[in-house]
Amino acid sequence: MSVFMDLNVSFSAERSRMTKLIEAAAHLGFSTVAINYVFEPMAKKKLEIPMPTPVKELIDQLPVVQGRSRPIRVLNRLTVVMSDSSHFRPNATEYRGFDLLAVQPTTEKLFHAACMLYDVDIICISVTEKLPFFFKRAPVNGAMDRGVVFEVSYSAAIRDSTRRRYTIANAVSLMESCKGKNVILSSAAEKPLELRGPYDITNLGLLFGLSEGDAKEAVSSTCRSVVLHAESRKSASGIIYTMKTCSESSSQQEALAADLGEAPAAKRAKPHLTQ
Amino acid sequence: MFGDLERTPRTLLVCERSSFLDEKNRLSSQVEQLHFNYKVSMLLPECSSAPSHLEAVFNSINSFYLIRKLPIHELLDKHFLETAVHQGRVSGLSYGTRIDEDNCVALMPNGHLSLSLDKDSFEVLGVEGKPSRFNQRTNSRFVSVDLTDSSMAPGGRGYQRLVTGLKSRLQLKTDFLLSHPPGCGASLHAFLSRYDWSEHKPEIRSHTLTDLSSPLLTSDLQSCDPRRLLEWLGAVDAHVSCENSSSSFLSSLVCPEPRTRLSQALSVSVCGLLRPQDVQQLIQQIRCYLEQPRLENWVSLTVHGFVDSPVSWGGEEHGVLRGGDNFYSLLMFHDHTYQLHLATGAHDTCPP
Repeated sequence: MSVFMDLNVSFSAERSRMTKLIEAAAHLGFSTVAINYVFEPMAKKKLEIPMPTPVKELIDQLPVVQGRSRPIRVLNRLTVVMSDSSHFRPNATEYRGFDLLAVQPTTEKLFHAACMLYDVDIICISVTEKLPFFFKRAPVNGAMDRGVVFEVSYSAAIRDSTRRRYTIANAVSLMESCKGKNVILSSAAEKPLELRGPYDITNLGLLFGLSEGDAKEAVSSTCRSVVLHAESRKSASGIIYTMKTCSESSSQQEALAADLGEAPAAKRAKPHLTQ
Repeated sequence: MFGDLERTPRTLLVCERSSFLDEKNRLSSQVEQLHFNYKVSMLLPECSSAPSHLEAVFNSINSFYLIRKLPIHELLDKHFLETAVHQGRVSGLSYGTRIDEDNCVALMPNGHLSLSLDKDSFEVLGVEGKPSRFNQRTNSRFVSVDLTDSSMAPGGRGYQRLVTGLKSRLQLKTDFLLSHPPGCGASLHAFLSRYDWSEHKPEIRSHTLTDLSSPLLTSDLQSCDPRRLLEWLGAVDAHVSCENSSSSFLSSLVCPEPRTRLSQALSVSVCGLLRPQDVQQLIQQIRCYLEQPRLENWVSLTVHGFVDSPVSWGGEEHGVLRGGDNFYSLLMFHDHTYQLHLATGAHDTCPP
């Protein structure tokens, strides 16, 4: 049992649109959303990784989630679209501002590298074109062992009928390799009308070949494990993390006596995890 | 791969046919077992306004309290236990919490406190519980504590462990709906005054429908299929038209055959936190109403339980997979026979 999360809501520079998107997500019942900044480095010109806008500038007051009594939680996420292995620089300092890190590989070699080596949380499966490569069991299992999840986004299917075919085809072939585990379903919504409620996305998961329990997990517990994985990735193996204090003095260190991976969240009573 | 698509979500429907005059009828025990009722909706055919004795019952249904941000350890307060729980009549439910997302709490009239917790909260609380029957993979836990048991007497070890758990380790605070038997309200005021509370009366809505097509319902064995009947009853309650006209694409629901035409019907619904005793009173009054000869000699009464309650019939665990309905529908006839349909969704045990 876990709260419903939508970990891919596209960022746009218009404040009013972001406000409407977050309000629509809270109204539909999502307790956590992640604003996605897409970064596509190109060979010709040098692009800079965007800095995440603080949440206070996007929306004045976080709306309360429908049916519950807590406000929605907003995270920041970066997606790096990779067409070359130099596009993703591990341990770059710019990545620290983001809560979640995702890559979208476009070739088989990059997919293999992303599954086995790269220090990311989410691997996006492209839905706008026919997959140029097939999923092999070995890298998919390797990613599952490391705690990396695969993401299928559905709003392209809402916008266009050709993309609807690609979304379903790519998702079905992914489910065949990964057997329905370690998958998250999210919108890549640019407008509030492209968001759908969590139970509707559970039904969509059935179309992709997930079982009922797996489809519900794809919107709730697997998303929770991604967020926890991202937290442990930011800290040193989940044991020590640094936190900048509000004052301008140097950062404080807080040592946590906890186990690796997901266990720290269970043993310590951090308030935001029980949301 | 696509086997799941061919199957509709699992639901359970138990149908029973009996008579009020039969000594062995289990209706009162079945009604008593659903402790938390959210909505009672009635359909009286060929009736334009509610009879006066039914109105009197509506007005006599007790109000319930909504307490904002109640720390759950207060339910274990010694004074509250003595005045309310051990007398055995106060019951309550957490409000604004979803069963498949949050921690939910239910206090039943027999003194059982049930908590449905997610993995993190359960591990922090440190009390014995069993894995949820329905959410095993996501590790949610169902904790059920009998507050009237001797091990949970104030001062006992079990009691201390639970109280320290709820006070210091897991500070569980939810909005709480509390219902009390008549006459007990004043003693609770001292307990409630420490928090932000408000009193609410159940909301009563009535609607007169004209020119309604309804199935021909008789008390003999050839009545219509239960699923189609329940679908029609739901459509009437939701004000969905069952005409299936060719110009409207909103609904293709139809009234089951054989059908008849009613010139008018009264649909009344009562929403709030209702106790089984209130439902029993309504059933008695409707039986009195049916004793006089009428144009149509049936009345239907549907009672819905809370979707987000951690417990359903008899204190058994309740969950939501894609829908959490747990309700029963009673179709009463003037010759004291009745048909009872109990329905639940996927994550529920079989109704009694």
